[in-house]
Amino acid sequence: MIGNFSRPLLVIEDSDEDFEALCRIMEKQSVANPVFRCSDGDEALDFIYHTGTYNNCQKFPRPAIILLDLNLPGTDGREVLEQIKQDEDIRYIPVVVFTTSSNPKDIEICYRYCVASYMLKPIDINRLVETIQSFITYWLDIVILPDAVNN
Amino acid sequence: MSTNDITNLVQIDISNCNKEPIHIPGFIQPHGVLFALKEPDLTILQVSDNTFNLLGLHPEELLNKNLNILLELEQINLLKDSLNPDDLLIGNPIELTIKSDSHSLHFDGILHRSDGSLILELEPTNSEKGNAFFRFYHLVKIAMTKLQSASTLAEISQILVKEVKNITGFDRVMLYRFDENWHGTVIAEEKPEYLTPYLGLRYPASDIPTQARKLYSTNWLRLIPNLDYQPAAILPTNNPLTDEPLDLSKSVLRSVSPLHIEYMHNMGVTASMSISIMKDGHLWGLIACHHQAPKYIPYEIRHACEFLGQMTSLEMAAKEDSEDVEYKMQVKSWHSKLVEYMSLENNFIDGLINNQPNILNLVNAQGAAICFHGNYSTVGKTPEQQDIENLVEWINQNQQEEIFYTDSLAQVYPQAEKLRAVASGLMALSISKSQKNYVLWFRPEVVRTVDWGGNPNKPVEVKQNGSIHLSPRKSFELWQETVLLKSLPWKSYEVNAALELRSAIIGMVLRKADELAQLNIELERSNNELDAFAYIASHDLKEPLRGIHNYSNFLIEDYGETINEEGKKKLKTLIRLTQRMEDLIDSLLHFSRLGRVDLSMQPTDLNHVVHSSLDLLSARIDEMKVDIQIPRPLPTVYCDRIQVGEVFNNLITNSIKYNDKAEKWIEIGYIDEPPLPITFYVRDNGIGIRDKHFEAIFRIFKRLHGPSKYGGGTGAGLTIAKKIVERHGGKIWVDSTYGEGSTFYFTLQGVK
Repeated sequence: MIGNFSRPLLVIEDSDEDFEALCRIMEKQSVANPVFRCSDGDEALDFIYHTGTYNNCQKFPRPAIILLDLNLPGTDGREVLEQIKQDEDIRYIPVVVFTTSSNPKDIEICYRYCVASYMLKPIDINRLVETIQSFITYWLDIVILPDAVNN
Repeated sequence: MSTNDITNLVQIDISNCNKEPIHIPGFIQPHGVLFALKEPDLTILQVSDNTFNLLGLHPEELLNKNLNILLELEQINLLKDSLNPDDLLIGNPIELTIKSDSHSLHFDGILHRSDGSLILELEPTNSEKGNAFFRFYHLVKIAMTKLQSASTLAEISQILVKEVKNITGFDRVMLYRFDENWHGTVIAEEKPEYLTPYLGLRYPASDIPTQARKLYSTNWLRLIPNLDYQPAAILPTNNPLTDEPLDLSKSVLRSVSPLHIEYMHNMGVTASMSISIMKDGHLWGLIACHHQAPKYIPYEIRHACEFLGQMTSLEMAAKEDSEDVEYKMQVKSWHSKLVEYMSLENNFIDGLINNQPNILNLVNAQGAAICFHGNYSTVGKTPEQQDIENLVEWINQNQQEEIFYTDSLAQVYPQAEKLRAVASGLMALSISKSQKNYVLWFRPEVVRTVDWGGNPNKPVEVKQNGSIHLSPRKSFELWQETVLLKSLPWKSYEVNAALELRSAIIGMVLRKADELAQLNIELERSNNELDAFAYIASHDLKEPLRGIHNYSNFLIEDYGETINEEGKKKLKTLIRLTQRMEDLIDSLLHFSRLGRVDLSMQPTDLNHVVHSSLDLLSARIDEMKVDIQIPRPLPTVYCDRIQVGEVFNNLITNSIKYNDKAEKWIEIGYIDEPPLPITFYVRDNGIGIRDKHFEAIFRIFKRLHGPSKYGGGTGAGLTIAKKIVERHGGKIWVDSTYGEGSTFYFTLQGVK
């Protein structure tokens, strides 16, 4: 068992298939953290700010860590990142980018916005599994995350 | 009488003065005698009527006689000898002696030709002239030595008037200089204490009218020994050879215009002499000598003064040019700096404006504007952009030359009066007339006082019978005028610097155009490669895709029984993903081909286009129960039928797709916005779009919703629609209220 029940993970990902792959690997690792998913940027912002359909703070706690895809429908991942990092109240939340874009410009912009890590989605299934496992081990097991529930 | 009227009358006055035929007065001054002779036998054709006073013979006794009635053979031969050279003037004057009853009379004989007659003018002289000549030669030599040591124009002018006064003994000697408008200013003066100073005073151009200036340019010296003379008429009035009055342009005795005599009287002058100063073939100035009492100056002394004047004018021209040399060098260095800056910057205009020195330094202006392809860049103090635009429009329509400059813009362009503080002076350089590309320089108003020698507006007398009499002005007292709406004048080397900048700018623009053409060639090549890439991508990527697609189907077919539902679901996802991939590849190819297919433009009835679109989508329309409204028939438009059909297709499909209302409707129509282009719209009561996405939705593969919502899509439809509209020269945009509905607008040119 990995992780802590009080540290929710928010996955911002538009691809059902990619999300399924992620869930599959997390299941195998028995991740204890609650996982929430938003499939576009506007939804993600609603989630973080408890607006729209996510206005229930109990049901949708503020995440302790965010896994962010960059290319999203509507408001895209770069804008979501910009918004999070401009806001004093939530900028402390570590954001890990998980994307297919290897564009150096994207990488630079993301680090300028102080992402915690920038990870590529590999095509090879073994590499994908390894990457996601490393993410789980490092971010949900080794690293001490801020206490989201009490914040 | 209003001020305006006076101005008009002065103009009449000037034109009258200008018309006075002062070269054929029919009279001479009586201190000498004039003969018109027929060559080669020297028959006397015409003679002045004052011969009895000077020669003791009446004119009737001389007319039609041979000149030897006066001169002995030796003298006649002397005269004939001096006729041989082409230039008669070199021989002047010839010393002639005429025997009278009791004694010998000595004369200076001055020869020239006029209208085919030989003109001989005799001026009485004393016999001791040999000595006099050497004395004056000496004086001229001393004067020249002094002049050579002078270093500035002002010094030369001062020495010149002083030496001329020494040699001639006139009361007052002035150096009078013309400006580009033929107004004159006294720049040096030598006079006794008791006379009013004229130094620094300005005289209007009308004081010396055009034809008088012309005579000053032909005949460089003019003497009037006594203004209070009784003119001697020439007999007969018309020359027998030409039947015209004798042209006295080159005569030294020519009678003076009554207006000029009155003018001199008003100045308190009795004798006067003037020597023209020429520069590059143009009248540059005059040495003007005045005397209060009658005064005669012998021909040779006059000639010495003339020589002095001509020598000095060369010196003065050289000095005047060299005084600007330093500034000119500076301008040259600024010019090369500007060329360098232009080549360093991406946009040459930045190079002209953003550095030090900039284009203001080049012509010593306080403001400048560069108008290039409708963009306005300014530096320093300039009028507002709207005023500059109006000014450029005016220049474009009224000024044909490459360069136009004025130190008094309001005079030609009255709207400039309100811009006086920044743009009383303008220099406009045309880079390209058709493109309305100009460089403008501005200079502010400089209010200053001009000291005129008397009111320059000649007095006008209206006589009792209503006729207008114009007399020369009577006052030469200081009369101050305040000059408004004028800037400092543009100097010739500043104008030249601007013209040189023009070639530099044109060179730079051409070079940039070359670079652009090169870029275009490369762009075309990379476009072609991209096109090829899209083809290869669509073909080669589809091959493995087909493999995945087919084998997934085979798996379901062959092992459908053995794998469980979970397994089958995964295989179906696989098939769905391959289809999605194919859609994406097709859209990409379609989009990349779009710009390269020629449009087949023709008048197209859009009702047909929209209806065939609706037919195509009828199944979905029925399924979703969408109400389609077309309030009025659509117009016929000049366009590509297939492609515009695709635009409607895309927009209608989107409207059907993104609608969650129970009662869905779509309205297709156009806005009356005469004359052209026509704006069409497709409106729905769908889900709407947030403001911040209005631009983004037209980007390729940019979607607002996840693939599972609203039936998915590749995100290429609007990008394709945009490209089609733009290829038709139109625009496309969206207006929407989130949650309530959207309207997509696009424009097309109607049929002309």
